[in-house]
Amino acid sequence: MNAPMPRSTLDLPMPAVPSCGAGWRAELELGFARRGERTVLVRNRHCGPLRVQKPLYPEGPSPCHAIVLHPPAGLVGGDRLAIDVSVGVGAHALLTTPGAGKWYRSGGANAGERVACLAQTLRVCGGAVCEWLPQESIVFDGARGELATEVALEPGAGFVGMEMLCFGRTGSGERFRDGAMALTTRLSVGGRLLWRERGRIEGGSALLDSVVGLRGEPVVGTLLAVGAGVDEGLRDACRQLVPAAGEGAVTLLPGVLVARWLGPACEPGRAWLARLLELIRPAVAGVPMRTPRIWNT
Amino acid sequence: MLALIRLLQLASPTLPVGAYTYSQGLEWAVEAGAVRDEAGAGRWIGEALEWSVAAFEAPLVAQLIAAWQAGDDARVAALDAEFVASRESAELRAETLQMGYSLARLLGDLAEFTALPGWRARLAALAEPAYPTVWAAAAAAWQVPAAQALPAYLWAWLENQVMAAVKAVPLGQSAGQRLLAGLGARIPALAERAAELPPEAWSNFTPGLALASSRHETQYTRLFRS
Repeated sequence: MNAPMPRSTLDLPMPAVPSCGAGWRAELELGFARRGERTVLVRNRHCGPLRVQKPLYPEGPSPCHAIVLHPPAGLVGGDRLAIDVSVGVGAHALLTTPGAGKWYRSGGANAGERVACLAQTLRVCGGAVCEWLPQESIVFDGARGELATEVALEPGAGFVGMEMLCFGRTGSGERFRDGAMALTTRLSVGGRLLWRERGRIEGGSALLDSVVGLRGEPVVGTLLAVGAGVDEGLRDACRQLVPAAGEGAVTLLPGVLVARWLGPACEPGRAWLARLLELIRPAVAGVPMRTPRIWNT
Repeated sequence: MLALIRLLQLASPTLPVGAYTYSQGLEWAVEAGAVRDEAGAGRWIGEALEWSVAAFEAPLVAQLIAAWQAGDDARVAALDAEFVASRESAELRAETLQMGYSLARLLGDLAEFTALPGWRARLAALAEPAYPTVWAAAAAAWQVPAAQALPAYLWAWLENQVMAAVKAVPLGQSAGQRLLAGLGARIPALAERAAELPPEAWSNFTPGLALASSRHETQYTRLFRS
C-alpha cells in the first residue's frame, strides 16, 4: 500500500547535495542520543558554513538545545545546504536558529537557473522528541529557492515543527514580485505518509493575492505536531487561542495537528505559534514550554 | 462513444457519492464575508480551481488514470497516499475518504465495472481510497481517454462548487448558470496543462483555503460537511 518502510528511520539516505561550481555547499549532520538522564549530542559533523557550536542545557540534562548557525546568514542562488538530524530512542532535542533566515535575490547572468536549495531531514526514533523551531525565513524579491523538509518518525516519536515564511522584506514595503520558491514537506510515521505539502510560489503570481492563497498577506506560518498527547482535547484548547493579528486556524488530522497562520508581519504569527507551543509542548514532550533565549535577542 | 457515456455518468451530479454535501471551505468564506455575491463566489471558486484543484488534484488524477491503465498498482497506492496526506484539514480528508468509499461501493454494484476482469480486486486492494483514486479507476476501466476525463473531472468539481454557492450565498439559478458558463470556459486550458504537469510542479499550497476549511470545522450553523 505505502512505500516500503525503512527498517528504521535512521536508514534513510542523506539528502542529495549536488556539488556545484558557484555558491556554498554545506552539510550538517547531528545525532542526539539518550545517556542516562541526559540527551547528548553524539554526532556533530559539518562541512561548509553550517554548524552547531555547542549543545546547550537551559532546562537541565534534557532536552538538549542546539542552535543551528549558518554564518553567511542567508542563501543565494547556487547554494546547496543539507541538514540531517537524528534523535535516538528516548532522547529529546530542540533545534532553533539564531535569527531570521534569508533567501537572497538570485542575481547575475542566468539568474533563473541559479536556485538555492535547503534540504532538511529529521528522523526521530520511538520515545524520542524532536522540536524543530527555526525562526522565520525572509524571501527577498527575486529569490529562487527550494526548501525540502522530510520528517521521518518512528511510531511513538514526538515531533513539533514550525515554519514561517515572509515573502518580501515587509519593513521596506518590498513585495515578492520576481523569483520562485518551491516548498515540499513530507511527514511520515513508521513509513506511512501523514502530511504532504507541495508549494510553488512564483514572484508576482496571482496566488499571492488570491483569496484561497496568501490574500495579499506576506507571512504564512505552519506548525505540525505529532505525539501521544496530540488529540481532540489539545486541538480544542489550541482553538481557544486567537491571534492578536492575522488569521490562524487549527485542525487535527489522524496523528498530526496542523496550525496555520496568515498575516501582515512575522511578529504576531510568531507570538500566536509560541502560545500554541505552550499547550503543545507539554502534550508532546511532557515538559512546560520554555522559549529559547535566543528568540529574544 | 460508450466511453463518453460512461464519463457523463461519472461526472454527473446524480452520482450518489454525496458530493453535494461538501463545500470545501466555501461555506466558511460566506460566513466570514469573503464571499457575499455572484462576483465573490466566482472569484473564490475560480481561484480554488486554478490554485488547488487544477494545480494538484487534476494532474494527480491524470497520473492515477495512467497508473491504473498501466497496471501499476504500487504507483496507484503511492498517489493515493499522497492525495490523502495532502488534505489540509480533517473535513477535507474525511470528505475524500467518504466519497471514495461511496464510489467504490457503487462500482461494486455495477456489472459494467465488476465484469471487467481484475478491476474489482485491484480497487479492493486499497483499504481507504481517496475519491480521485476511485474515480480514476472507473475512468481507466471504462477506457475514457485522459484528454476527456480531466475536463470532466474539473467540470464535476466546478458544478458542485457552484451549486454549493447557490445554496450558501445564496444565489439565483441564473447566477449559478452564469458562473458555470464563465468559469467553465477556463477548464480546457487548465485541463490541458494539468495533463502534462510533472509532480515537481504540482502545488496544493493554498493557505487561504486551508484556513477556511479548518475554521469551517467549528462553524456554528452550517449546511455542508466541509
